[in-house]
Parts: sequence; structure tokens; C-alpha cells
Amino acid sequence: MELLNHLATGFAVALTPANLLYCFLGSFIGTAIGVLPGLGPPATIALLLPITYGIPADSAVILLAGIFYGAMYGGSTTSILLNIPGEAASVVTCLDGYQMARQGKAGAALAISAFGSFIAGTLAIVGLMLLAPPLAAFALKFGPAENFALLALGLTMVGYLAGASLTKGLMMAGLGLLLGTVGLDPIMGTQRFTYGFFKLSEGFDFILVAMGLFGIGEVLANVEQTITADVFQTKIRGLLPSREEWRQAAAPIARGSLLGFFIGVLPGGGAIISSFISYAVEKKFSRHPERFGKGAIEGVAAPESANNSAATSSFVPLLTLGIPGNASIAMIFAALMIHGIRPGPLLVAERPEVFWGLVASMYIGNIMLLVLNLPLIGLWVKLLKVPYPLLAPLILVFVLIGAYSVSNNSFDVGVTVVFGFLGYLLRKFDFEPAPLVLAMILGPQLEASLRRSLIYSRGDLMVFFERPIAAALLALAVLMLLSPLFRNLLGRRFWQFVAPGSETRDKPDAGSI
Amino acid sequence: MVRRDAAVAALALAFGAAAAYESSQLPFGTVHSPGPGFFPWWTSIVIAALASIFLAQALTSRAKVEPEAGGRISKVLALLAALALYTYLLETLGYPLCTFLLVLFMLRGIEPQRWTLALGMAAFIALVSHVVFAVWLGVPLPRGPL
Repeated sequence: MELLNHLATGFAVALTPANLLYCFLGSFIGTAIGVLPGLGPPATIALLLPITYGIPADSAVILLAGIFYGAMYGGSTTSILLNIPGEAASVVTCLDGYQMARQGKAGAALAISAFGSFIAGTLAIVGLMLLAPPLAAFALKFGPAENFALLALGLTMVGYLAGASLTKGLMMAGLGLLLGTVGLDPIMGTQRFTYGFFKLSEGFDFILVAMGLFGIGEVLANVEQTITADVFQTKIRGLLPSREEWRQAAAPIARGSLLGFFIGVLPGGGAIISSFISYAVEKKFSRHPERFGKGAIEGVAAPESANNSAATSSFVPLLTLGIPGNASIAMIFAALMIHGIRPGPLLVAERPEVFWGLVASMYIGNIMLLVLNLPLIGLWVKLLKVPYPLLAPLILVFVLIGAYSVSNNSFDVGVTVVFGFLGYLLRKFDFEPAPLVLAMILGPQLEASLRRSLIYSRGDLMVFFERPIAAALLALAVLMLLSPLFRNLLGRRFWQFVAPGSETRDKPDAGSI
Repeated sequence: MVRRDAAVAALALAFGAAAAYESSQLPFGTVHSPGPGFFPWWTSIVIAALASIFLAQALTSRAKVEPEAGGRISKVLALLAALALYTYLLETLGYPLCTFLLVLFMLRGIEPQRWTLALGMAAFIALVSHVVFAVWLGVPLPRGPL
């Protein structure tokens, strides 16, 4: 009964005309950038962050969340029609989706990925709704020692899961932690690493860093590569899958949804990894694994369901523990902070309209996305014909205005350009920007909880091992750190298993998620 | 040995060492009461340690990395230079003019398009974005002499 009351509160928030409009805008923009290769959800959310300053917190979150899960819908379109992933979580969809399109079954592939996304997205919202409140209530009991252990585990997992190399992932996390210390010391207020720049005493503004790393960094990387898009020339017909196709896709959609949900909850997990793993699982359990890569509908249904489910479930650690698990969620973390809301265990209880409004808007958004992605598919195919060289200046202009508007200052524009260069270099040398961004956000909390714990315990490190929850979390982090050998072994076999020979070409880029 | 990774690792190691030195200039405090330098110092040490591991991995790795097709790096550098110039001139020349020049440069210098298209896009983007953001949304973008 209580749940129904909460849901009613949520729908009361989500169904106001303004919020319906924001939900639609989010879904629409999300689909658009999902369709367009070369502009990922974190970059888009970073670009739109400054615009959300002026609107209420619940509307801001509804809009930005819509972009994130909307992109999961749009990405498959490009994968299927172009054999280029529209965004990183749709990389595996290329394998069978494009083959289906070449066999004249583009309509069925698009439809099954849209329906799969819808089913998975909706199931994941139910999961989010049921799991988040009790988890938040549990996390309320955490003291500084538990918080430190949780943050340390979260960062380790992000480093572990975000890229191919644990060492590189952790190096990025370390750099992010260090960048997070620039400015005033959180406990004593001492100036650190400001080097006489008055502007730096507030620290690097997270939004500038994100816009630089993801927005400008992505444009620079694309300028080097030039994306050429050849839309597969086919008449898209039969946007309703046949009974036979439904029969084949039903179980993969169910498995993908479930798998995606659990992987999405893990920090550093999220949409990309879940799509790869669910593809591998389907291939492994299929009675005809040889059909995969040649247009198997299961190979479209499972990963497209998994990435939607994971996108939604990655809100669980954000809204209950205050840990953003991936770069897009980190942007939403920043949006909440700007509105004076600290994501964490108190959010569900103290700002129910934000939490339940978001949950309700996700139900609505998924319905909107189903409509946007099936009857309106022709619109997105047209969008794909806009050449990237004409889009790049638009993206850059958005970034530059956004950077300027943060505090109406051209110093900020310079900071953004510098981080843009860093973002380009990171991509070039195969470093993931995601752990850096997350560490930068979590760094001040990690430092404060570490120092507070040590002050309370009078320097006794046992404080982290005597409390059972803290000890368990830290033990898990240590286990993870000690497992790189095992992981390398698994990793290499895993990639060959998923997509033999394609790992260099279609390497997933967690930074764009 | 992967030379590219080894170079990056050496750079990261130097960065970690420099950061550790800079952190050591801040009050370190004690374990009982850690000061402002405590956390950055340990973080720098961890970065340096990780960089050493990465260096060892790069030096012993037998993986082959394909040489970069470096033809278009000059375009990236040109765009970066344009962005630096944009930042520098923004307050003096104003937003509309700077943006017009940046977009024109991108559509002629970076990805050459027809002159009419380039000029048209540049004028359109500069004007429309100025009207939307500076006039409607009230972002105080520098107007410049125009």
C-alpha cells in the first residue's frame, strides 16, 4: 500500500505538463544522440547541465535521465542500419543486427530491439523501485569507516570494470582523486594546488572537466578519424516482429533484462559490459551458436535488453549510496549537487518527489521512447544522413557556451579546452576517462571519511577492520585488486569468445557511456 | 616492449613524483590527525606505484601495437590552436565574431566544405546561438565591438 502511495506521489510529479515535456525532451534528445555516432550520453548530459540550473531539481533529473536511457534505444538503430555503433553500449548489436538488415529484416531487428528495450527498461524500473528504498535505509546506518570502505570499493570496481587494464583504470582513478583535492581542504580549509589562481580555490568545476573530457575530447578524436556514414539502403518494412521472431526473442529478452539489471547495479558495470556479457551468454546457451554473427535475432534482443536494464539499474547505487557507477550517472550526480541535493541514503526519505518523480517519469519515458523509435524511425534515418563535419561545430559551440555560462568567465572556457586536450590524449592512449571523472566526484568524500575515521579512532587503522560491514567491503576491494592475473586470463578468452577478431575494431569505450 | 605505453608510464611516474613533492609541501599532520597534505601525498604515491607497474608491463609486453596512421594529427592540433585562440580573444572580439570565425575555420580549414555552405553555417550558428543564449536565456556572453 505504501508503495502505491509513493508511486502516486511520483506520478503526480511526473504528470505535470512541464515534467511531461522534460521527459519527452530527454527521450527525444537521448534517441537523437544515441542514433548519432560520435556524441555519447555523458557528453550530451554535460552539455545540457548548465541549462538545467534554472529549472527545478525534479525536472532536471527527469530530463537528464531521459537522455541516458533514451540513448540506449537510439544506439541500436545505427548499429543495425550502418554497422557503426551509435553509442558504445550498442557495439555488439552490430554483429547480428547489421546482418539482419542485409537479409532484408531491418524492420524486425529494429522492432525487436525497441520492444526488448521497452520490456527490459520497464522491468528494471520495477527493480529500482523495489530495491532502492530498503538499500537506502540500510546505508543510513553507515559511519565514516563504512563510507570510506564503500567509496574505496566503488572506485576499485570502476577501475576494474571500466576498461581493459586494471592498472590503467586505477591510474585514472588516482589522477581523478588528485584533481579532486585542488582547492580548499574539506576539513581545515587550507589552499591546495591553487598556484595563485584565485579561481582554483573552489577546485576544478566538475562540469568543466566533464564537458572538456567528453565534449571537446570526443570532437577532437572524431576530427582525427572522420566518421563516414553509409546508411544501408533498404526499405524498412514489417515493424512488427512475426510470431516466430517473438518466440525466438522472448527468452533472450528476459535473460538480458535480468543480467543487465544486476550488472548495472555494480559501480563500473553498466550498459556496455552488460550488453557484451548478455551476447556471450546467449551464444553460449544457444542450440545453434553458429547462427550468431549471421543475423540471429537473439543476438539483437539480448544485448539491447541488457543495456536498457543496466542503464536504469545504474541509478540504484546513485540514489541509495551516493555512488555514481558510470560517467553519465556522474553527470546526473553533478546535476543533483547543483540543486543542493546530495545523492545518497537520505535522498529517498528527504526528497521523495525527486526519487519517486524520477521513477514515475521513467515508466512514462519508456512508453514515449517506444513510440519515438518505431513509428518515427524514418526521422532518425534522415538524421543519420547529416554529415559529421557539420555537426562538429555545433557540438563545440554548445560546449563553449556551456563552459562560459558556468560562471560567466573565459578562464572556465580555457580550463574546458585544456581538459578537452587531455580527453583526446586519454582516448588516443587507451585510457578510460570514466574512472577519472568518478574519482574526482567521490574524492572529497573519500578523503573526508578517511580523515574523520582516523581522527575518531586516534590513528588506529583497525577501525576499518573491526566493523564488520567496513571490513567486508574492504576485503572485497582487496580481492579485486589481487585478481588482475586471473582477470587478464578471463578477459582475453572472454573477448575472443564474444567477437573473435573484432576486439581491435569495435573496442567498447566506457567513456562514452 | 610497447614503446608508446612505456613513454606514457614514464610520464605518469614523473607526474606522480612531482605531485608527491608538491603534496609534501603541505602540512602532513599525523595519523591521529591527518592534515591537508596526507591524502594528496598518499594518492601521489599510489599513482607513482601504479605507473611503475604499468611501466614494467609495457617493458615486458610482447604485444604488437600497430603504428599510428598519423596523417590527421595536424588537424587535431590546428583545431586545438583555434580553440586556444578562441578562448584568448573571446572577451575582446566578443562571442558572435569569435564563434563565426571558429565555425568558418572548422568548415574550411579542418573539413573543407563549399565556401557558400561554410559561410552560411558559420553566420547561422553564430547568430542563432547568440540570440538563443545571450538574448533569450540571458547568458551574458561577451558582445565585443559589434
